[in-house]
Amino acid sequence: MSSLDERRAGFQHYKENVKRNGKPFYPFAMFHDTVMSLVVVCVIVGLSIIWKYTADGSQILGPLIGDKADPGTISFVPRPDWYFYFLFYLLRIFKWPETVILATVGIPTILLILLLILPFVDLRRERRLSRRPVAIVAAALTIVSMGVLTYKGATAQEAIAAEVKAAIPSWAKKQGFANNQEALKGANLFAESGCTNCHTYLGTGSSNLGAPDLSAEGSKNKGIQFQIDHLKCPSCVNPGSPMPPFAALGETNLKALATFLEASKGPQ
Amino acid sequence: MATTTKQSRSQSLAKTATYPLDWLEERSGLIGGVRYFLFRKVPGDTGWWHTLGSATLTAFLVQLITGVILAMYYKPDVNSAHESVQHITNDVWAGWLVRGMHRWGASVFIILMFMHMGRVFLFGAYKYPRELNWIVGVLILATALFEGLTGYLLPFDQTAYWATVVAININGTAPFVGPYLASILRGGAEIGPDTLARFYSIHMLLVPGALIGLIGLHLYLVVRLGVTSPPWSKDAADREPEPEPVAPRSGLVQPAPRAAGVRRRPSE
Repeated sequence: MSSLDERRAGFQHYKENVKRNGKPFYPFAMFHDTVMSLVVVCVIVGLSIIWKYTADGSQILGPLIGDKADPGTISFVPRPDWYFYFLFYLLRIFKWPETVILATVGIPTILLILLLILPFVDLRRERRLSRRPVAIVAAALTIVSMGVLTYKGATAQEAIAAEVKAAIPSWAKKQGFANNQEALKGANLFAESGCTNCHTYLGTGSSNLGAPDLSAEGSKNKGIQFQIDHLKCPSCVNPGSPMPPFAALGETNLKALATFLEASKGPQ
Repeated sequence: MATTTKQSRSQSLAKTATYPLDWLEERSGLIGGVRYFLFRKVPGDTGWWHTLGSATLTAFLVQLITGVILAMYYKPDVNSAHESVQHITNDVWAGWLVRGMHRWGASVFIILMFMHMGRVFLFGAYKYPRELNWIVGVLILATALFEGLTGYLLPFDQTAYWATVVAININGTAPFVGPYLASILRGGAEIGPDTLARFYSIHMLLVPGALIGLIGLHLYLVVRLGVTSPPWSKDAADREPEPEPVAPRSGLVQPAPRAAGVRRRPSE
């Protein structure tokens, strides 16, 4: 740590040195800046061209535009722009109701405060990296964690209802409930209600928070009434369960879902 | 005689040519300001690492220009927003390019901002006397992320709509101010026509205005305080000084130590 006087003297020395040995901004530094700016504009134009001309084919940069917004759908899985993926993935890590606020407000606020107070915490004049081990470790940890969270956010398997629904005929065949209308209705509800955002079923969906695979739920023979009670209030039946209640679906729908779960005896 | 007339004629010609510049300089001092900006000295060893800031500025200017053009065709209304974006993409001459550049320019802008911040951190350029400029930079980063968030809703497709629903809900989880913030962003109790108009206004008036102001301050401070030399610079300025070797007692064998108060610097 150096005193303010030493830092002032250091800056005075910097100014004298630049005056003596520096070079004018134009044309030296400005040349570098201009070349770099041209590269930036070319990259932006290049991305736009790739985006436009792959829109009908591979769509590596995504579609030109999605379907018109429809507030009526309940099963659309939202996705932010890629630079929010790290926050988006934090939401999946802190999914329990009591901890959600950590991911939504807590961690971003702490990060912002850390950035703002950085120059008041690091008061040394030293700028050589070889003598700033703490700064190097902090930078490496930040880059790695942001990178991993962004990657996890980008590759997170969000179950889109339409895709899950497409798998229902094959489920019915494997589980042998193709002729059970009630179970088929339940399977559709299962696909639409976002169950596969936490549970897996015959390879569809993503497992989160240790939610169990439901492919062979029926083989436990817990009974339709148990399944209905559990769906209505998971934590009443299973204390501490992070699963949200689905009582809002209504008695008939819950019965269909329970029938579907009980009919899932595991692939034959 | 002939030569003097020639001289005076060329002199008066030069005077006429520079008259507008002199006029402007006398009344505003702007010419002197531009000359100072262009011919100010920067450290002799600045290089490609120092171009990330101006590259970020270039990406921001691309956003400003393409944004102004998009605003000429975009309709911030829930019934026509999606159609107007489709119209820009498919019908307007080079509309796809302008929209593509705005869309991908946003990502490039944000990547460059993070890279610029990483460079400033690793160079230790946030240290005395540039603490305030680091803070302004962090504010620019946060404001720009908010700009990305508000712009994401405007194409008004499914992704845009549902990501915004989640984003507003996340704002709503903040303690105390959260519910008010969410209600301000929504423009009411529900996400509706007012939300889109509000996001449009925030995205193209409020936040860009704030960004222009902050970037202006950022640049002013860069010019005022000067560009930091790289940490590997031969000059020892802006560094923790080497510990002074313990001066041996002067005696018969060893020469007297240097006069007190004169610090050894490698460059001198």
